[in-house]
Amino acid sequence: MTNITKEQRNKALAIISQTSDSKLETHLNACVRCGLCADSCMYYLTMKEAKFIPARKVDLVSSIYRRYKTWQGAMFPKLFHARELDDKTCEEMVDSLFGACTMCGRCVKHCSIGVDIPFLVKKGREMLAAMDMVPKTLQATVDAAINTGNNMGIPTDEFVDTIQWMEEELQDEMEDPNAGLFLDKTDKNVFYTVNPREPKFFPLSISAMGKIFYAAGEDWTLSSKYYDVTNYGYFNGNNTEATQIARNLYDEIHKLNCKRLILGECGHGSRAMRWEGPNYLKTKYDFDTLTVVELIGEYIRNGRIKLDKNLNDKVVTIHDPCNLVRNGGLLNEIRFVVNAAAANVVEMTPHGTDNFCCGGGGGALAMSEYNERRLKIDKIKADQITATEAQVVVTPCHNCVDQLTQINHTYKLGIIIKTVAELVADALIIENAELKIKN
Amino acid sequence: MSWYIWTSLAALLFCVVLLGKYFVRLLKKGPPKDLSQKSGNIAQAVCYSCIGAMSPMQKESAYLHLPTYSAGIIFHIGNFLAILVYVIIALSAIFSFRIPIESVTNLVIIILAAITFVASVCGLSLFIKRIVKKELRELSCTDDYISNLLCTVMLFVTTYSLWMFQFGAVYYITMALLFVWMPIGKIKHVLYFFFARYHLGFFYGWRGTWPPKKATV
Ligand code: SF4
Ligand code: SF4
Repeated sequence: MTNITKEQRNKALAIISQTSDSKLETHLNACVRCGLCADSCMYYLTMKEAKFIPARKVDLVSSIYRRYKTWQGAMFPKLFHARELDDKTCEEMVDSLFGACTMCGRCVKHCSIGVDIPFLVKKGREMLAAMDMVPKTLQATVDAAINTGNNMGIPTDEFVDTIQWMEEELQDEMEDPNAGLFLDKTDKNVFYTVNPREPKFFPLSISAMGKIFYAAGEDWTLSSKYYDVTNYGYFNGNNTEATQIARNLYDEIHKLNCKRLILGECGHGSRAMRWEGPNYLKTKYDFDTLTVVELIGEYIRNGRIKLDKNLNDKVVTIHDPCNLVRNGGLLNEIRFVVNAAAANVVEMTPHGTDNFCCGGGGGALAMSEYNERRLKIDKIKADQITATEAQVVVTPCHNCVDQLTQINHTYKLGIIIKTVAELVADALIIENAELKIKN
Repeated sequence: MSWYIWTSLAALLFCVVLLGKYFVRLLKKGPPKDLSQKSGNIAQAVCYSCIGAMSPMQKESAYLHLPTYSAGIIFHIGNFLAILVYVIIALSAIFSFRIPIESVTNLVIIILAAITFVASVCGLSLFIKRIVKKELRELSCTDDYISNLLCTVMLFVTTYSLWMFQFGAVYYITMALLFVWMPIGKIKHVLYFFFARYHLGFFYGWRGTWPPKKATV
């Protein structure tokens, strides 16, 4: 690592000087270093090294704050553990804040004080981003999204081909030439978004959702250019890039003049667009924003789709994506939908707001330099799944699906992993093929 | 009034002014300005954050570490009581009124002394844990040891003073040191704790996570 310049340092320090509200100052001063958060973090639980204790990650950021933003830290750095922002500190920050935290927030709920640890980790990442110290692999994912409109750099014609292929399959399955996966239609009720992993690796999840839309008689569209629900700008700490990615969807829904933005099955993408997006863009949305799980829940409640849960008779367990459940409030909605679609649902221990991260959050899946660590911490998730004796793990997040697939392979679990849309599509009762498609 | 009482009062003033300054600064900065569409009830969530979510059944930091958690709770109760004792004793010194030692007062003093004694033992045990446990030691800085030691010593001195019912120079100087350190070192979490609970309630309340609903399978 090269010596950091004064300019870099100033840019980084500006991050912890911004005071739009009292949250940052509060959390920077609240940790009492009791160490009781250690057992809530999968990194510490697996590795048992002090550097993985959540409070250590907090301290990396707050010690810099004490050194540069408090008189006592500036005068007596040893006494208050106030650290210089130098190469060594930056190196530790990259390793701990990018490489050893999925920003799952599990430690927050269990912290004896209530320190928002991932909030500070995010601030630390923003400092590193301001100094151009984002791990290259993660930055490459963000660059792809900025340059091509999706994080996997899928060319538009390849995406369109995939959608057309899936559309033909859907028409064959429904025996209805009107069944469709619609692209770039204007004035629709629903503007749907997907994780680029779907067209790239899991096209059947798009057709599963297409089937649900068909059954519900939904008036919907995808964009052929800006369909990517993910936003790795949330993870790399570069808010300008995060804003640009959020703007892509914001502008596209306006261009196509749709009413509702439906966030495809992606935990962090949903978080970044729904909760962070308006703050990035500094504007309230003038359209409805909800996750696909909530939309499916709405269809079930309104009788727009009918399900036969006995069509899914294997033992199913739910993996709660951190950004949708702990940090997104969807605990019950996911359960409502999964229970409507599967006959035999069992819970993991712990689950819900206490659930362990899949291990791939926080951009970890994109950072191959930490692969070994990532798969090691997954022993916890593997054990959780095994204990349920479930045959199917369902989760409304494609990042989690990807990570669970790797866990399945590494720990030889022999499970089937599905998204919620896939589970629901398998339970659909298509009563009338001549549905109200108005496209 | 003796010089040491004045010293402790000056220290108390320093503490109140500095903590008050932080408090006003936090209030001025205000709550988060979130432009996303709220999906829950902030007031209910903040209440839950300060009450329900603090229950030992809800926190691994409590139910996985019951001895430490219990020691911490007693230690904190002891500290608050000891400061209350200081306020009463200092007021009696300022306004020259005598606290009558009668059977009821005596009993109260014995109970207070017992609590502050147990709290001081708890404080000492937490101090020893911080030294002995490698990972905790690696996490700690000088401020952690000073903060704990100051509170623990203050509790021992308060116990002794209550027991003897004599509040002399050692007592007041110990209190003065604590008051000076409080807004400088980590004891300032006495203020930030409440703001942290508020922000947590705000965050989870906004998104509809808190107050929790039962997961129904
Ligand atoms: S539990 Fe909370 S207060 Fe204690 S060390 Fe961890 S982050 Fe700090
Ligand atoms: S947010 Fe998750 S990964 Fe990060 S320190 Fe907390 S528990 Fe560990």
